[in-house]
Amino acid sequence: MANLLTLLASTASTLDAYGRVLETTQNNVSNASTPGYAKQRLPLAALPFDPNAGTPGGVQAGALESSRDQYLEQAVRRQTVSLGAQQQLVDSLTSLQSLFDISGQQGIPKALNDLFSAFSAWGTSPNNQATRQAVLDKATVLAESFQQASAGVADQEQAATQLISQTVDQVNHLVGQLQQLNNLAMAGNNKDPGLDAQVNSTLENLSQLVDCTATRQADGSVTVMLNGNHVLLTEDHQYTISSLESMPVSPPPVYPNAPPGVQVLASDGSDITSAITTGKLGALLNVRNQVLASYLGDAYEPGDLNRMAKQFADRVNNLLTSGNITSGPPPEMGVPLFTYDGSSDATIAQTIAVDPSVTPDQLAAIDPAANVSNGIALALSQLASPIDAADKIDGVSYSEFYGEMATRVGTALNDAKGQVQVEQSLVAQAQSHRQQVSGVSLDEEATILVEFQRAYQAASKFITVLDQLTETTINMLQV
Amino acid sequence: MSAVEVERQLREACAEVDDAVRLLETPTPGSLDCCAHLLEAAGQRIAGFQPQLQAAAGSHNARQEARRLRSSVSYASRLLEGAASLYFHWSRIRDTICAGYTPRGEPALAPIRNRISFQG
Repeated sequence: MANLLTLLASTASTLDAYGRVLETTQNNVSNASTPGYAKQRLPLAALPFDPNAGTPGGVQAGALESSRDQYLEQAVRRQTVSLGAQQQLVDSLTSLQSLFDISGQQGIPKALNDLFSAFSAWGTSPNNQATRQAVLDKATVLAESFQQASAGVADQEQAATQLISQTVDQVNHLVGQLQQLNNLAMAGNNKDPGLDAQVNSTLENLSQLVDCTATRQADGSVTVMLNGNHVLLTEDHQYTISSLESMPVSPPPVYPNAPPGVQVLASDGSDITSAITTGKLGALLNVRNQVLASYLGDAYEPGDLNRMAKQFADRVNNLLTSGNITSGPPPEMGVPLFTYDGSSDATIAQTIAVDPSVTPDQLAAIDPAANVSNGIALALSQLASPIDAADKIDGVSYSEFYGEMATRVGTALNDAKGQVQVEQSLVAQAQSHRQQVSGVSLDEEATILVEFQRAYQAASKFITVLDQLTETTINMLQV
Repeated sequence: MSAVEVERQLREACAEVDDAVRLLETPTPGSLDCCAHLLEAAGQRIAGFQPQLQAAAGSHNARQEARRLRSSVSYASRLLEGAASLYFHWSRIRDTICAGYTPRGEPALAPIRNRISFQG
């Protein structure tokens, strides 16, 4: 009997015929014609089988090729969107980190240390005019440092808001380009490889900004969805998105004077902010509405910078007002040192200041309860290394609390930097996989998948072993 | 084994894992095979000197190298998962295209698992 494929090639070139042959050989490729799956039915084509001529036969897939191309394009876009997010995080957090010095040489930590030193010196010489003046001077510097940090974070918020607006414009612009390409495709150019390349390239650019999925339609147009839920483009109709700063209405804001958040709205005005979690836009929204808000506050949180400023000012003021300036009789009560706008806890850091009417003579050093002439000054100096819970914030000293704020930015930045490297490699990996594709042969592909699975299992096993060995090594190297 | 020697061995193991990372950027079965060999070599190297690690206990540099190795292993692990994701998701789609769905709505397994050839 002549070889079957040669026979088929000459007598049964249609796919149905090939399917029937496969059925008769009990090869379940016939499942390609599974009822109800007509649209994704696999058109198979037999390759010539002639060992003498070097043609090995086998099966070639038609529609499968385009499915795989689309899958690989989508895989590249999926990795690109994560890379876009991490790169934006690195940019934004690098700027933010510069505001949070942890060296103790500038900003709030230096001002805080200097004020603690001034309190300590005042405790040693409670009646010395110079040490009293130093307390006032250093307290003023600390208040200014809070204001500067607050203004710096506010500037970052402004910059992020602007970038969000620009990124939204970029998204609309790219979707507009895709809309024009859709028009060309629907006009009958859907087989044009140049057009296809433009669509893929535009989608890749778009995926740096937002998580988008693209589905190719029968007329050659692409439907673009944001995060798989919100339509940005279908056929020749574009749905633009927009951004705006706004204070949420429900639940009612606890801190209405806090900086408003940024929302992204769909073309029908609905809020789709929560749907944008990755890509450059997702990262910017995260930085603007979560990271920066954690310092300066939002509708529902006062922000750590404001909390620290308020709690520190209140504690210093409480100690000073519990003391006496003179023993009398009659004793002269102490006065508060710091002032701030108390109308909202979310604006303390930007309004904190030293009361300009307070003179060095009005600083209350005397602790009337213990009848100690420098009791209050010593209690203030204790704020540097607190024991009493009232001298702490969230269970730690003010310096430590600030350190945690700064470390939060630093850690997030380091994580993002590490992720950028990994995401870059994952994008390169997906691109490399895409480039390897040329033509599809089902049987070859099946072999590759089997080989891959075997190689993957081996590599995966070694990774697990290496991971354990490394952990053990690190533990053994500890002192 | 001295701390310096431990440090050197860790550095070399790290270089092997880094080579594997580079290979994983092109996730073909062939490159994965080579990658598995490199990972195996790195594992053998570490297992080989681990009994003598006490000599380097407390060494800052050795600890730094070990942490760098851990970071590289984690990097390789991410890339390996990425490669697996590329292949296995495609395999799933391919199975669906070829074999449709099971009655439970899951992708049916494509019956072609090996080379198809016919002889008459």
